[in-house]
Amino acid sequence: MRFVRDYLIPRLIQYVLVIFFGITAVFLIPRLTGQDPVLEVIAQIQTQGASLDPVAVKSLMESLRELYGLKGTLGEQYLTMWKRIFSLDFGPSLFQFPAPVSMLLRIYLPWTIGLFATSTILAWILGNILGGVAGYFSQKRWSKVLDAVIMLIRPIPHYIFGVILLILFAYLWAIFPAGGLMLGRKAVFNLRFVMTVLRYSFLPALTLVILGGAAWFQQMKLLVQNIKREDFVQYASAGGVKERILISRYVMRNAMLPQVTQLALVLGQVFSGVLMVEMVFSYPGMGLLLYRGVTRGDYNLVMGITVLSIFTITTAVLVLDLLYPLLDPRIRHR
Amino acid sequence: MRGKWILVVGILSLCFLVTLSAFAELPGGIPREETLIVDQLTGRVGTPSNFNLWAGWRWQDRGLQQLAMEPLWTVDYATGEIIPGLASEMPIYNQDFTQMTVKLREGITWSDGVPITADDVVFTIDLHAQNGNLPYHGPMAEFVSKAYKTDDHTAVVELKKPNSRFHTNFLDRWGCLRIMPKHVFEKVDPVTFEFNPPVSSGPYVLYDYDPAGFWTLWERREDWDKTPTGILYGKPQPKYVLFQAFESAEARILAQLRHELDMAQHTLEGLRAVLEKGNTVRAWRKEWPWVVNIDPCITGIMFNNMVKPYDNREVRWALTLAIDIVDYMAIAFDLMAPVSALHLPPVPAYKEAFFIPMEDWLKNFELDLGNGEKFKPYDPEVPLKLAEAAKKRGYAVPEDPEAIRDLFGLGWWKYAPDVAEKLLKKNGFTRGDDGKWRLPDGSPWKINIVADVNVASHPLRNATAVAEAWRKFGIDVNLSPTEARESLILNGEFEVCDQWPAGEPWGAGVDLSRTFNVWHSSLLTPIGKPVALGPGMAARWANPKLDAIIDKMQVTDPFADIEGTRLLGIEALKVVVEDMPTIPTYGYCGAVAWDEYYWTNYPGAENPYSQPYQHWPNFKYMLPFLQPKKQ
Repeated sequence: MRFVRDYLIPRLIQYVLVIFFGITAVFLIPRLTGQDPVLEVIAQIQTQGASLDPVAVKSLMESLRELYGLKGTLGEQYLTMWKRIFSLDFGPSLFQFPAPVSMLLRIYLPWTIGLFATSTILAWILGNILGGVAGYFSQKRWSKVLDAVIMLIRPIPHYIFGVILLILFAYLWAIFPAGGLMLGRKAVFNLRFVMTVLRYSFLPALTLVILGGAAWFQQMKLLVQNIKREDFVQYASAGGVKERILISRYVMRNAMLPQVTQLALVLGQVFSGVLMVEMVFSYPGMGLLLYRGVTRGDYNLVMGITVLSIFTITTAVLVLDLLYPLLDPRIRHR
Repeated sequence: MRGKWILVVGILSLCFLVTLSAFAELPGGIPREETLIVDQLTGRVGTPSNFNLWAGWRWQDRGLQQLAMEPLWTVDYATGEIIPGLASEMPIYNQDFTQMTVKLREGITWSDGVPITADDVVFTIDLHAQNGNLPYHGPMAEFVSKAYKTDDHTAVVELKKPNSRFHTNFLDRWGCLRIMPKHVFEKVDPVTFEFNPPVSSGPYVLYDYDPAGFWTLWERREDWDKTPTGILYGKPQPKYVLFQAFESAEARILAQLRHELDMAQHTLEGLRAVLEKGNTVRAWRKEWPWVVNIDPCITGIMFNNMVKPYDNREVRWALTLAIDIVDYMAIAFDLMAPVSALHLPPVPAYKEAFFIPMEDWLKNFELDLGNGEKFKPYDPEVPLKLAEAAKKRGYAVPEDPEAIRDLFGLGWWKYAPDVAEKLLKKNGFTRGDDGKWRLPDGSPWKINIVADVNVASHPLRNATAVAEAWRKFGIDVNLSPTEARESLILNGEFEVCDQWPAGEPWGAGVDLSRTFNVWHSSLLTPIGKPVALGPGMAARWANPKLDAIIDKMQVTDPFADIEGTRLLGIEALKVVVEDMPTIPTYGYCGAVAWDEYYWTNYPGAENPYSQPYQHWPNFKYMLPFLQPKKQ
């Protein structure tokens, strides 16, 4: 009971407050940028010189404000937003009007989850295993070479790395498609569809796995190098514990704890997508959707995506906090 | 050992599968050689399942306006003509412009076989006059008293008040009120209806589209000969047309180099890359400067005429004369675009009607510097100076003076910092000890330019070049590229910006009312309230002399009184030059690239039979002239 009173209830209150203030900030920030979603749409119509009579535009602005639900004071709009959140209806996208935000999320989220979650987990596994082994055998020549190569790759921005892969594998040695022509189709679960998705997702995934894996590698390598020098490892080693057991049970297991925490936090970012990679490969993901929402003052779309994001990340952190004692017996909620 | 072999075989199989299907497969397995693939200018469609372009912005350049819809009339700025589409001739007005008659073409049908008649025209106008949620409700409600048909091919619109330009609501120039299929829309709510699949009046029907909005595929109608395109120009050659959106310039370049994109609009740098690397790629002009320089849009710099000191004509003129246009063009567009001293793009029709006839006036135009001193600011030698600078950069510049005027424009304003200084000092400005300019109240003069964020865009190119020119002149300039640019400009929350300096004209004929109407004093809007149109209008400027000319234009028939319309245009241009509310610099240039691997006979500079863009509505009129190369 002491755990509930001293830890669980304050932690749950903190959880609710973080969500409340996060969502309030997301409501206010787009409205402070000076962007007006109605004017953005009007400007888009006129970008190429489309003919609209000034009188017609005035009346169009009025009717758009009505349709977008932007009439009323800031306070009224704020209340409407909470009503919408509780009914899980984020309203229509303003720039992509009349497409509902929920529909856009349904279209784009599976593509992002497919690419982002798979490549993040793959990068995590590869980076941690390689980093762990390289950290343990840090004095070996292959470990040093691998470290040097990864040190070179790691700082390359996603956009540049994606373009390099495109030039290499979609132009010079054209074995992969250059853009997402066949992506975005409605999913039909047959071999042809799966192969198509794999073919078009391969280069974006490779970008994420290599760059993401490089980051995990470096972190894990440093962790392992430190843990390897700890007394309990030295003691076990002196006691004749086999090296394989030493690596997996003594060193890697201890090094995994911060990595697991970070994986959960990174996975929570699925809603903001991987914008740069999506841009390079014309991949239909949440990053592009959010970018368009932000640049066009699409309050509803930004709200829809960020509410989900805030909720997922705070929940992931909460669950991790509660589950941590199971992962690490040394931690106890007192 | 066995495990290793399995791994090797697995990797090889994956490589094999991937290699087998390396090149982009077209949706539905349609044949590439019968398909024209074009770049979608406005990017990924945000409303993929919605084709109802009457209800608002629906990414109409996904093929909707180019292939599915035929308007009553379309502007072609390359030929300077207005093309009647569903209409069989130009509109007919009565004496006092209170009645417009539209004659429709006979033998044309919707893609579902229903004939297109005057009933559709009457229905479209009535519906828009009644429904306040449709974008064209404003002018229809304001002007239409009654619409009716006199026979199946004649519609008459009676107007509440005289309007000699009422037809322009139906004149397609990247958008207009297009005629709806009555038999479809009379049964639905026109605002929420998705119009999917669309019933076409144009020569193509929807074949398929990407639910994520990256592509839209159209198929030629079996009965293409029952569309205005078919009747006017014959059979459109590509059986399929695919519109594809690219989110990055690099992907667009690679797609074109792989022959997976036939028509594209690149950045200038992208154009250079595809021309250099692609053996079958050509630009609008086969030789330098390659780009489309007949676009009906003028670029430049806009002042907010409601903000001090830009509300002062002489300050605006001083800032104009502080620009060295040769340096400016070198920074802005590598000397590849035609300059324009007028608030008008130098398209072929306007050169003949306005630029050349106004040359004498421009040469004699004077600024009063005070103390009886006058200055003639026009410099007809600018094209030669630009040509010289281009030669120094190693470009192949023609020697013929006419060809030089074609490439570089007819003239611009002199670089006269000494005159600019006199004008500023006359208005109380001073130079500090540091050489920097001070405002009349003694505080440092700092110009903040609200600019586009896209580095490849003409607005930001202009903003960058002008910032450099004014800094050189001794003014502190802060360049502020911002995503909120459009909203700030429409609301008037800027001093100087890179918005188009004038409303885009029609690009054909001699009617300039579209450029000048937005500057009528009745539309002047205070700062903080949005103006209806960014180009020109956001400058928040008016002039009683211009008001009088605009009023006269309203009662001049642009079809029956062509000369009167042209002379009014010239008078209006003079008023704007005298006041210089915005600075026109150069005509918009499109970095268009065409791959001739699958298709040829594009409308290049050597044979400009049509406007060259795939995103303009008259793209459909280009398609009958394309020639397949692989069939």
